[in-house]
Amino acid sequence: MLLIRSIVRPEKVDDVLAALMGAGFPAVTKMNVLGRGKQRGIKIGDIVYDEIPKEMLLMVVADKDKDLVVKTILKVAKTSEKGSFGDGKIFISPVEESYTVSSGIKEKSDGTLEEVKL
Amino acid sequence: MKEIMAVIRMNMINQTKKALSDAGISSITARECLGRGTGLVDFKVLKGAENGYEEAISQLGQSQRLIPKRILTVIVPDTLVKKVVTTIIKTNKTGKSGDGKIFVLPIFDAIRVRTGENGNDILDEE
Repeated sequence: MLLIRSIVRPEKVDDVLAALMGAGFPAVTKMNVLGRGKQRGIKIGDIVYDEIPKEMLLMVVADKDKDLVVKTILKVAKTSEKGSFGDGKIFISPVEESYTVSSGIKEKSDGTLEEVKL
Repeated sequence: MKEIMAVIRMNMINQTKKALSDAGISSITARECLGRGTGLVDFKVLKGAENGYEEAISQLGQSQRLIPKRILTVIVPDTLVKKVVTTIIKTNKTGKSGDGKIFVLPIFDAIRVRTGENGNDILDEE
């Protein structure tokens, strides 16, 4: 299992969520975040804006689905054919276990399921 | 050490905080977020489907409404993972979909800003 954290433009979020739904990944968590990137924010005249609003999308997917999810986000979150600074980033980290609270079922990274004894 | 990321219901946050501190876990981070799960969630469509409109039934599962949730992040030593997970499940379980998910992620190091110490010593102990 992998955790995919992607940072995208706020105006692109709806498109990304719709595309993910279309690709068969309904489960997403969305957060408002502020941040700056490698370009050190935006400079307009003398003023530097280094806390730019973005949206962070969190999703946990099976290893084999990673490429599809990443490609879907990349395709939709780009502002144009070429893309531009500030379109965002995608980070991927490993997840060892996941639990569903309502059923108390544990899923390990190799896909095996077991019930948690409380 | 491990990061435990739990997505839970909005109204469960106080009970969960209390349960965790009773279990000896004092350090947590919480945030608000929006999300959707593997289930479907458009209440209008759901109601329409309940009343038997075929159009609504055909739309089930295609909606993309986001629901407000809370994210809890706890960093604990490996030995405490089981305790935290069972505490969260115990307090949040209602048995209906939407109760949330818990993810366990590896963390390579933790550093206390005040003193620069690192490792398991700066985390909650059993």
